[in-house]
Amino acid sequence: MSAVAAKPAAGSAMNPGAMAVGIILTLILVGICYVMSPGVGLMALIGVIIGGILIGFGTHFVPVGGAPAAMGQAPGIATGVAMLATGAGVAGLFGGAWAAETLPATMDPMMQLIIVVCAGAVGGGLMMAITCMMVNFLYVFGMGIPPASGKVANDPITGDSQAEYKSQGTEGHGLPFVSFVGGVIGGTLGGAGGTLIYFELLVLYENALPGLMNVTAAQVMPIAVSAAGMFAVGLFLVNAVLTAYNITGTIEGPHDPKFKRWPRSIVASAVASALCGLVAVLIVMPLPI
Amino acid sequence: MSVKVEVIEGGVPHNTILIAGVVSTLVCIYLTYLNVVTQTEMFSFFGGLAVVAALVWGSHTIKVLCSYGIGTGVPSAGMIAFGSGVIAMLYATRFGMLAPVVALILAAIIGLVLGWVSNNILNMKIPAMVQALTEMAVVGALTLMGFAALITGTFGFEGLTTGTVTMFGMTLLTHQNSFIGGCLIAVAFLLGAIAIQHPFNACLGPGWTQDRMLMLTAECAFLSMIVAAIMSFALISAGSAIISLVIAIIGWVYTYKEYMALSKRDAHSWLDSKPIPDVEGQ
Repeated sequence: MSAVAAKPAAGSAMNPGAMAVGIILTLILVGICYVMSPGVGLMALIGVIIGGILIGFGTHFVPVGGAPAAMGQAPGIATGVAMLATGAGVAGLFGGAWAAETLPATMDPMMQLIIVVCAGAVGGGLMMAITCMMVNFLYVFGMGIPPASGKVANDPITGDSQAEYKSQGTEGHGLPFVSFVGGVIGGTLGGAGGTLIYFELLVLYENALPGLMNVTAAQVMPIAVSAAGMFAVGLFLVNAVLTAYNITGTIEGPHDPKFKRWPRSIVASAVASALCGLVAVLIVMPLPI
Repeated sequence: MSVKVEVIEGGVPHNTILIAGVVSTLVCIYLTYLNVVTQTEMFSFFGGLAVVAALVWGSHTIKVLCSYGIGTGVPSAGMIAFGSGVIAMLYATRFGMLAPVVALILAAIIGLVLGWVSNNILNMKIPAMVQALTEMAVVGALTLMGFAALITGTFGFEGLTTGTVTMFGMTLLTHQNSFIGGCLIAVAFLLGAIAIQHPFNACLGPGWTQDRMLMLTAECAFLSMIVAAIMSFALISAGSAIISLVIAIIGWVYTYKEYMALSKRDAHSWLDSKPIPDVEGQ
């Protein structure tokens, strides 16, 4: 097939067969983890899969405009999915990692998890809120264009009509209210997902690495933090780019018709997170050879 | 004047670059094993050469994939390459001597699954997708392993997590002063990710020429190698780090000059930019 003929073919159609295979593949990977490392390893893998799904689902809310948005010809933030999702995820991860460091070790583990994930969610949501607001400042006061959606006649939340403000020949521009809200929701979910992955792996490594390397728990901290952080960033990027493929690059927010593609993304994120998470869990297991 | 279409269409076929990339990257990474054989750290610079070889191969893979217009921008391809590569690379370091081969196989499996997911579950239906994502995960993993070998002189889990610190004349073992413990891997991650996605992003278009893009990749890779060589002063002996740094600077100056010459060759001339030609091998 030529490059010209093979334009982005990702329509909104679902592929039930492939999705069923994907779910079975996820279950098989979870089963492998159960056999190799029941208990703490399995818990970590399930946390990683839930985190990956949160990232994949959350990214659908974020108004990603890409290059057209930079020229004021499409609504959204003027950069790619990978950059935005990484920004929200890493901002959330910092918040969650800080919370994980400061909590007393005697605290109930479930309570720790909840506080850490909430801190990450707030960090990610805050980052997206600031980004969305500054983007709108730039659009309105810098480029002189009013926010207007091209996909819906009225804003689903405020009910404001959009068509009068939309310039001819564009798909809308700026960040309408619903996109702003979507961005904050997306950042919150992404930050929570990234932090969940980080924290689950951190707990696993803190428990398993000292025995593996014959060192004390205090000595292993830098390695546990760094390895968990790198795995979290890697998983975050994989899930964010897969979601970018799902929405073929741009989306306006939760009111965009492309938002309805989210079930595909959830299955894809589950498969990818299960595979990568299994590798991340196996690193602390004794070698099979 | 009509443009040389055959250069735009392909130049060296992708499969040749693929095979040359795999072989030269693996050979260069294994050459750093001379450190263990000779009990020095002088041969760490081969890790940097492995990075250059892997990135040149990887940027051509990105060209093959992004010729299809995947709609998400070229940088996302570099990000997924390293996101999946770092996972395979970290696990593979456990295997000691076999690490580069395990990294290659494991990254290929992860990339294969991600390609299948993109093409079938996400309905991308792009012919080059599965092979390209497989190759890119391998490139990501081997590039990070090359950086690890360049900065620490080794590619085993022990060597990457253990460093030494000298305090009051005593040499102490520490885990904070190491490639993974000090999170130098995060810097290596982005040095590689930027170097792999930039060249095609910068050179794409009707005036794309293969040799110019690959020369730019080599330039970016040597630039990353300079930074990594400077970081290696912290973990290996100063003499070995200077060898890496000098090689990186020589390589960067040479590739930069070559790239400028190629850019001047391709500029200042009238191009009959025909409709986008078919990509090679399809």
